[in-house]
Amino acid sequence: MKKLLVALSFLFFSSLTYAQDLVKKIPKNAFTVATIKGDNVFKLMFVKDFNESFVGKKLLTETSKSLDKNFSSIEDFGINLEKNMYYFNQLSDSITYNCFLIPLKDASKFENLITDKDKKLKVEGEIRTMFLPDSTSLIKWNNTMMYYVTGSIKSSFFADSLKSAKYGIKDIRYQSDDVLTDSATVAVDSTYAAEPMVETEIAPPVLPKKNHKTTGKKKPVTKKKTGKRKKSGKIKKAPEAEEVKMLETTDDAATDAAGSVSDSDQYDNYQKEKVEQDAKIKALTYMWISEQADKIFSTNYESIESNKSYSASLDKNAIAEVWISSLQDVYNSISPEFGRYGKAGIMKGYGSLTSKLFMDKKSFRISTGLELAKEQADSYKKVMNRKLNKKFLKYVDSEKAIGFMGYAIDTKAYLEELPKLMQQTYGSFLGSNKMDEEIALGSELFSLLLDEEAVSKVVKGDALFIINGLNSRDVSYTTYDYDEDYNQTEVTKTKKETLPDFLFMFSSEDQRLMNKLIKYGINKNKVSVSNNIYKIEEKKSPIDIYFMIKDGIVFFGNSLPEMQSISNNTFNARINKAHQKLLSQNNFSFLFNAKNLVGKVPNEEIGGEETAKKFNETLGKMGNVYMKSNPIKGNLVSADISAEIPNGHENALKYLFTLIENASK
Amino acid sequence: MKLRQLYKLILFILFIPALSSCFEIVEEINMRNDGTGDVTLTINLSQSKTKVASVMLLDSVQGYKVPSKQKIQSELAEAVAYLKKCDGISNVKSSSDFNHYIATIGFTFKDVSNINNITKNILAKQKIKATNTSSYSFNKATKVFSRKYQPVANAKSEFNKLKNQDKAVFNGATYTSIYRFESPVTNVTNPASNLSKSKKAVMLKSNIMNLINGKVNVSNQIQLLK
Repeated sequence: MKKLLVALSFLFFSSLTYAQDLVKKIPKNAFTVATIKGDNVFKLMFVKDFNESFVGKKLLTETSKSLDKNFSSIEDFGINLEKNMYYFNQLSDSITYNCFLIPLKDASKFENLITDKDKKLKVEGEIRTMFLPDSTSLIKWNNTMMYYVTGSIKSSFFADSLKSAKYGIKDIRYQSDDVLTDSATVAVDSTYAAEPMVETEIAPPVLPKKNHKTTGKKKPVTKKKTGKRKKSGKIKKAPEAEEVKMLETTDDAATDAAGSVSDSDQYDNYQKEKVEQDAKIKALTYMWISEQADKIFSTNYESIESNKSYSASLDKNAIAEVWISSLQDVYNSISPEFGRYGKAGIMKGYGSLTSKLFMDKKSFRISTGLELAKEQADSYKKVMNRKLNKKFLKYVDSEKAIGFMGYAIDTKAYLEELPKLMQQTYGSFLGSNKMDEEIALGSELFSLLLDEEAVSKVVKGDALFIINGLNSRDVSYTTYDYDEDYNQTEVTKTKKETLPDFLFMFSSEDQRLMNKLIKYGINKNKVSVSNNIYKIEEKKSPIDIYFMIKDGIVFFGNSLPEMQSISNNTFNARINKAHQKLLSQNNFSFLFNAKNLVGKVPNEEIGGEETAKKFNETLGKMGNVYMKSNPIKGNLVSADISAEIPNGHENALKYLFTLIENASK
Repeated sequence: MKLRQLYKLILFILFIPALSSCFEIVEEINMRNDGTGDVTLTINLSQSKTKVASVMLLDSVQGYKVPSKQKIQSELAEAVAYLKKCDGISNVKSSSDFNHYIATIGFTFKDVSNINNITKNILAKQKIKATNTSSYSFNKATKVFSRKYQPVANAKSEFNKLKNQDKAVFNGATYTSIYRFESPVTNVTNPASNLSKSKKAVMLKSNIMNLINGKVNVSNQIQLLK
């Protein structure tokens, strides 16, 4: 008994040491963090079930085949499936690191996956490193975690000759007209020092060193660097750069020697140079990624957990999460590639973006949130301060509705806030040209010209679009009849066509403008009227469109009977509670109920019985799809998309696996 | 959401259930005994006008760019201008009706083989390598009108490469050819073709799918009374 207790406590203890979440290894300046939550995933589907699933089997047999081993469970890969797996990236002006952190349960099992271990591995104590063939990525692991990093050098960085020269890298371009230009742009050699090239100024420090080293083999150089790196623990770019430079000077001599050569020689030279430069860039990448990986394993630093935005974004129930630090930063980081306008603050005021995936017994749900600057959030709050007109709900028939979409904003607030938002976005865009004042002036002018109050009375800002069902109607078409002598006569025939009946409505308090427009339309013969129901006569649209104004609501629709029943209060529809809640509680909501479409479209209109069968089957399997915006919380705007799973499935994850299996059949 | 976007959404929803469409292609040739004659080619999409009108309001559908009305009209005008320059072709006329989506093009020829050159040149212009798969001839001496048609060898395989939803476009599409003569017809070689009561006209009606699949061939040799 005592032994058991000891064993148990030992187990507990060891699992505690395991329990350190790898999030602690993600540096604070990580740009994007994506998480797959192993424990939540395998709560929905036991490892055993996974192994026996179609996907699991496929994965296991394929890996077994390719590695010539026999795997019977994903646990054989040595990964700790109860822990979180992470992806993150780090950006700088010169390199982007894409990194994966995978928790390990059994490192030896993981190592089993590697063939020719002895040749590829470097072991330093508990830490093992393996560089992958192209040397721009590596895998490093100890007993509890595996780390994969791949680096990609930013070409824009090395396009800047000043910066690239620092690392002994040239930005080469093929120029067939002038051989000299080619070497002149390179211009490291003193022969061309007379040319007023920026690079020549950097060249001199290289020259004295040139004699010390005779040949430049890349590998020893980089290895040396890696060693040096470890000691410094920090990227020091300049010294190494000079070393790399030496390699280059010898190359230049070759290029220079080829004073005036034919085009094809020149092209060969270009090719040769390109290969050399690419190799240098690779060597640099190799250096940088090994340094970055060392840092992850052997140093302590502040982790992403101390980032408030990140920690606030977490949800313990999510299956997977993605967090992007700040849209504004994303934009700025890629902006050098956009040139001068890049620095403008198009994304100003937009903070972190989070997306979370949930799966449960009933549905899939993706929830996306965006952090706003306070000013912006306040603007949005004002704009969103409106609920859908309750009278709209009378016209939703939950039993028949194929879909609906409702939205509600405060038009007055929107118009008042719009100039502010525009100024925020575009003000800084033109800021470099000192346009701030003009923009402010424009905003003022906009407010002056528009009477926000008056506009908001015409269009209050809430609207609902519904498709309550399908109806078949007669449609005429032209075809030909032939007499017994095959003389052609044009005839008009009719056929049935099934079309959805849509209804669109918005609230309007002040209908004077509408009425004037209608009157104008009638006078110009663009609108006809019968019993207060107007028909648009402009024949651009393939379907007839009717509209009317009733109880402060403007209705548009393509079904005359529907419009008539609205007009004489005989519209018969009942909304269910779920739909009522969805529509009335959110500023934006959307529903698509595929089931209500099953069997409603005649086969011949879909393209034959077979297509129709498939079509109906697919629809029948689809549950409801919803979208809705959530109320602003603090500075966070968010929206959810969810898809219900059909009956007869245990949970969304298992349903997903069945879908994959069916799709691959 | 802007109103235009909303409109597009409506059209999209309207369009989803209606993948298939019907259209007719009608080819009429009126041959005179002296070897001259008139051709009219009609494309009639009127049966699918709701869908076509919807599609015309979109920029592209199922990955295909939708031509604008102007583009269609200018292409048609270009075709007319080209025909007017062709040897043996005169009296070129075209019409387009965007309410019912019907377009026609017609002309008078000196010899029915003039048509062959046109197709050949058009194909060459489009850089399409095709063996001459369709040709017309009329022998004034023997009074034999012949239409030779060899289904393009890879038409079927190319067609099969299309997505199902794209194939559906051809479901219910029909092709009709009518050849009218001044003298009565004594014999036709194509069993699918019908002879009119006066024996002066021959009609062949086929589903376009059958043409693509090679189930129906439109080749015909028509012997007129000598």
